[in-house]
Amino acid sequence: MLVVAGATAAADPVRLPILVPVTGFLSLEGTSQRNGALLALQQAPAGLAVTGEVVDTATAPENAVNALLRVLDGGPVPAVVASMLGTQMLALMPMAADEKLPLLTVSGTASLTEKGNPWVFRFFPSDRLAKEAHVRYAVEQLGKRKLALVYQTTAYGQSGATYIAASAKRHGADLVFSEGIDTDVKDLAPILKRASTSGADALLLHLHAGPTALAIRQIAALGIALPVIAGSALHQPATAALLDPKELKGICAESAASPVSGGSPRMTKFLADYRAAFGADPDAYALAQYDGTEMLLDVLAQGARTGEAVRAALASKSWDGIAMRYASDGHGDMAHSVVILCYDGVTRIPQIVRRYDGLDVAAAD
Amino acid sequence: MSLAQLLLNGLALGSAYALVALGFVLVLNATGSINFAQGDMVMLGGYVAIALARLLDLSGLAVLPLVTLAMAGFGLLFSMLAWRPFRRRPPISGLLATVALGLTLQEAMNALEGAAPQAGPTLIGTGEIHLGPLGLSRASLGILVACLVLGSAQGWLLGRTQFGRRLRASAQDPVTARALGLPVDRLIATSFALAAALAGAVGLLLSGPYFVTPTSGNDLILRAYVAVTIGGWGSLKGAVVGALLIALFESVVAGYASSVVATASLYGLVLVLLAVRPAGLFPEPFGRRA
Repeated sequence: MLVVAGATAAADPVRLPILVPVTGFLSLEGTSQRNGALLALQQAPAGLAVTGEVVDTATAPENAVNALLRVLDGGPVPAVVASMLGTQMLALMPMAADEKLPLLTVSGTASLTEKGNPWVFRFFPSDRLAKEAHVRYAVEQLGKRKLALVYQTTAYGQSGATYIAASAKRHGADLVFSEGIDTDVKDLAPILKRASTSGADALLLHLHAGPTALAIRQIAALGIALPVIAGSALHQPATAALLDPKELKGICAESAASPVSGGSPRMTKFLADYRAAFGADPDAYALAQYDGTEMLLDVLAQGARTGEAVRAALASKSWDGIAMRYASDGHGDMAHSVVILCYDGVTRIPQIVRRYDGLDVAAAD
Repeated sequence: MSLAQLLLNGLALGSAYALVALGFVLVLNATGSINFAQGDMVMLGGYVAIALARLLDLSGLAVLPLVTLAMAGFGLLFSMLAWRPFRRRPPISGLLATVALGLTLQEAMNALEGAAPQAGPTLIGTGEIHLGPLGLSRASLGILVACLVLGSAQGWLLGRTQFGRRLRASAQDPVTARALGLPVDRLIATSFALAAALAGAVGLLLSGPYFVTPTSGNDLILRAYVAVTIGGWGSLKGAVVGALLIALFESVVAGYASSVVATASLYGLVLVLLAVRPAGLFPEPFGRRA
């Protein structure tokens, strides 16, 4: 357990548990989530004494439950920064309801906010919204009507594929090719080639970080000329770093944000602060958790000390974060914007080419 | 994509799998036990290659001997930790020790390097080479050539040298080998060193085109295990054939059907093989481990 104090320490500081997966297969994203929360704590409002307690939840749901039990043993807490791993969130949610404890997460698993649990607050667009933007960019912006999809056969991949298929149907596009691949498949060329010759006029990828980079490399090697729109894994600086800028030329991706792209003085400051604190480039998960924790700290600074008081404030207030404006839709979904970013083939810093706001209504089935 | 192109892709990928399987068989033949950390050694080799290339600013080709040397040293250390303390215990102890050390390696690399994939150096640069209508990346060509050289060298070492004869003798009957004065423990430790060196080479070869993560060895050890099961326990030739068969399924069947069908049909074939030919395609004459 790592303990970090934010702002000026005073008597009885507020405890803020940060239960995130910093080891295991989601450790890259989990570390970003942790760093975003910690950076917000370092910049806590003057006069608010708050102590962050980082506990690694790894990947098993029971680890997350044990982590929450441990922190609750230490006394009451007003809220928890909770794992971005959907299965861990699903395990934590009944406990949160019992304990009347708000969970702030950046998990994309759409079903988290569809279960009627009022204690979940998601500061990241759900997969449903992200895939809506993914498809809309191909259909509305690029004018493509025949889509090919290559997705991962994991829960993440299959869930995204379902939303992409629904969104394509909603927007009058045909999914002419759709195929899942396991995360350990190394030779993607046969699948990519079949996708490119399927009659599709755009190729959508919904893959994890490594396979996304592998697919883009093999797309470049095969000379596939279709427009490619990847999932959010590509926006992570660590993913783009695997590829030569030339391999990225013309490739686009959806994401909640792209901190390395800058775009506003607040974003530039966040980028500089994050780099100074952690020696790495932030991704959208780090920024989303930073924004969410900032909103929570503001609520605490205004005097909320119980889970119920924090829940009421998060459910009713809005917050102008760096990535977007956050406000609950009544189900705990706070993030309603998705951006599309594209690479120019010269640098690994993408440009934001399109922003979709208020996606909730459009995405409703 | 033409059948010839799919076969070529499968051959290149299968070569890398074959090298992993050969390292697996080397330890299997020397100890009679399975080294489940062989895939994690490949992963470690990838990270060592990245570190050396970064530190010394060298090409993949220049780094290759350094990686194999460093990993050979690691193999000796590994044998001291995972085999030597358990050599007089039931084989399951040694097997579990390799599992434990493999997981330790994964977590150590996760802590040191993080979970993000990293790209290593390629052996002979990047880009494509065209052979008429067929295309092959330089990375894949490097894998093919390295497999041919390293695989032949291992075959020669085990089959044509005094060391190889001693190694095989000590593996077949360690008690008699000791009675005849053979340094059985040292020979087995050397086998671990050779297997680790091979893993280091594969780690470098795969880290360029396919990246490396702390858990990337998991997929490889499964393929090595299946390759050796298909080919026959302890058979070098069988390991190579098994590895190539796996890669051909991944390329050719995936090319005509899908990768899900490729995986399902491959393991379906493994089940059929286990039923009709349980000792594999090239069984050992005495079937000691079958």
